[in-house]
Amino acid sequence: MTITRDMLLGAIDRITEAMERDFDMLNAADGALGDGDLGVTMARGMRAITEMKDDLPDDIGMALFQCAQAFTKSSGSSYGTLMATGLMSAAKTLRGSHTIDPAGIPDLVAGARDKMQERGKAELGGKTVLDSLDYVARATAEEGDKAQAAAEAVDKALEDFRDKPATIGRARIFGDKSIGMDDPGMLAMQSIVKAATGQ
Amino acid sequence: MKKILNKPEDYVVEMLAGMTAAHPEYYKLQGDNGKVVVRATPGKKGKVGIVTGGGSGHLPVFTGYVGEGLLDACAIGDVFSSPSAEQMADAIRAADTGAGVLRLYGNYGGDVMNFDMAGELVEFEDITCSTVLLADDVASAAPEEAEKRRGVAGMVYAFKIAGAAAEEGRDLDGVTAVAQKAADACRSIGAALSPCTVPQAGKPTFEIADDEMEMGMGIHGEPGVWRGKLQTADQIAGEMMDRLLADMPVASGDRVSVMVNSLGATPPEELYILYRTVKARLEGAGATIVMPLVGRYATSMEMTGVSFTLCKLDAELEALLNAPCDCAFWSVR
Repeated sequence: MTITRDMLLGAIDRITEAMERDFDMLNAADGALGDGDLGVTMARGMRAITEMKDDLPDDIGMALFQCAQAFTKSSGSSYGTLMATGLMSAAKTLRGSHTIDPAGIPDLVAGARDKMQERGKAELGGKTVLDSLDYVARATAEEGDKAQAAAEAVDKALEDFRDKPATIGRARIFGDKSIGMDDPGMLAMQSIVKAATGQ
Repeated sequence: MKKILNKPEDYVVEMLAGMTAAHPEYYKLQGDNGKVVVRATPGKKGKVGIVTGGGSGHLPVFTGYVGEGLLDACAIGDVFSSPSAEQMADAIRAADTGAGVLRLYGNYGGDVMNFDMAGELVEFEDITCSTVLLADDVASAAPEEAEKRRGVAGMVYAFKIAGAAAEEGRDLDGVTAVAQKAADACRSIGAALSPCTVPQAGKPTFEIADDEMEMGMGIHGEPGVWRGKLQTADQIAGEMMDRLLADMPVASGDRVSVMVNSLGATPPEELYILYRTVKARLEGAGATIVMPLVGRYATSMEMTGVSFTLCKLDAELEALLNAPCDCAFWSVR
């Protein structure tokens, strides 16, 4: 099923709702390991996107570029910048297209993962949002319903990494204490992917 | 810690409003959210733009050094936190006169990430950028991991030297190369006696006993090399010089500028007591001191303590250091 601009707008609405719903949960999860503003970052970013939603261009690449800018405008926090980086990566690939071919989704996600890895100077396996994207990229590359595969992949990533220690950023300071705790960035990506895919 | 403020969340915006109101001949606010400071008199067409950015709480770094022969624009974040990529993009747009823009800033994760992102944003608008990262704090990583070091007061030398090169009319590659040379020529170390309090956090960045000091601490209260009993001025200055000279030896005939910088609360009297030892050590090694800077150049709010920066000069760097510059906090004529 080809993804159109209207479908993108619908996904934006659902993600915005999810971020308002998960506002306190994400702040609390982030507060346990970092500075406690992840819910704020995500809600602000999505509110900024919602505000200009109706003016988004038909060119899906340019539309995603403007979504990336909304994140960079609304926050200086690293998660907001990483979100913008992932969106920019997809924006560059899709520039000039009016739709997204589902067959291209694994590559779009993998491209975002790689660019975010470069920007955040983090490795895969470090219990970060990169691992969630890595799971989504690999799961959607297989035959089957891509929306369902993506939603299952974000759950599986959280489960697989829950009992590992954080290795990146401020959470790293907590070392073994972070074992058993979910990474806040992975939790946010779980909400985003599930809302985007309507699962 | 008592502070003079209204609402903690208005601290930065009100500080910028006051600073630009007090010095309208130097500074102007620009950008959507009012946290970009630009030169009141823009650089002339065809001059390479120089931008920096970083958290508030370090005045005169960063915004204070916007001025002729120094920086063209600066994006400023909340106290000790990075400005957004979009603010940095606004600063780059403001600094661009068509000859490209050098991003010159400290090696901090959030700043690096956001300035890289800002570069991609302005690429869509055909503005060319280059980057030089300041990483002069010898205490923040060992020499074999020098690329991980943080940028501290040494950035003032880099601003001055890059600013002079841009004013001279050098192109982006030329300004970038000499800024890198200045960055490579600087080494800094700090020592702290008391912490500071970030307004929105409302409590000190670290705790330290009244009779203790910390050697090598970072500008945001990052832990230092050691913590122990408070030493005499001569001992403190002696160890700081030992550590700097071990990292960048100085030989007979070398020409070196040196900065003895207050982290905020340490008074000029104590800086001058320290400077005696600094001068004796450098001259004892046969070096000549050029333009000693003793005062408040790069601070961490009201932290008590001091940093030393050495900048080893060749003829090119020395000429650029001596070129005229003017801002509210420092001028060379």
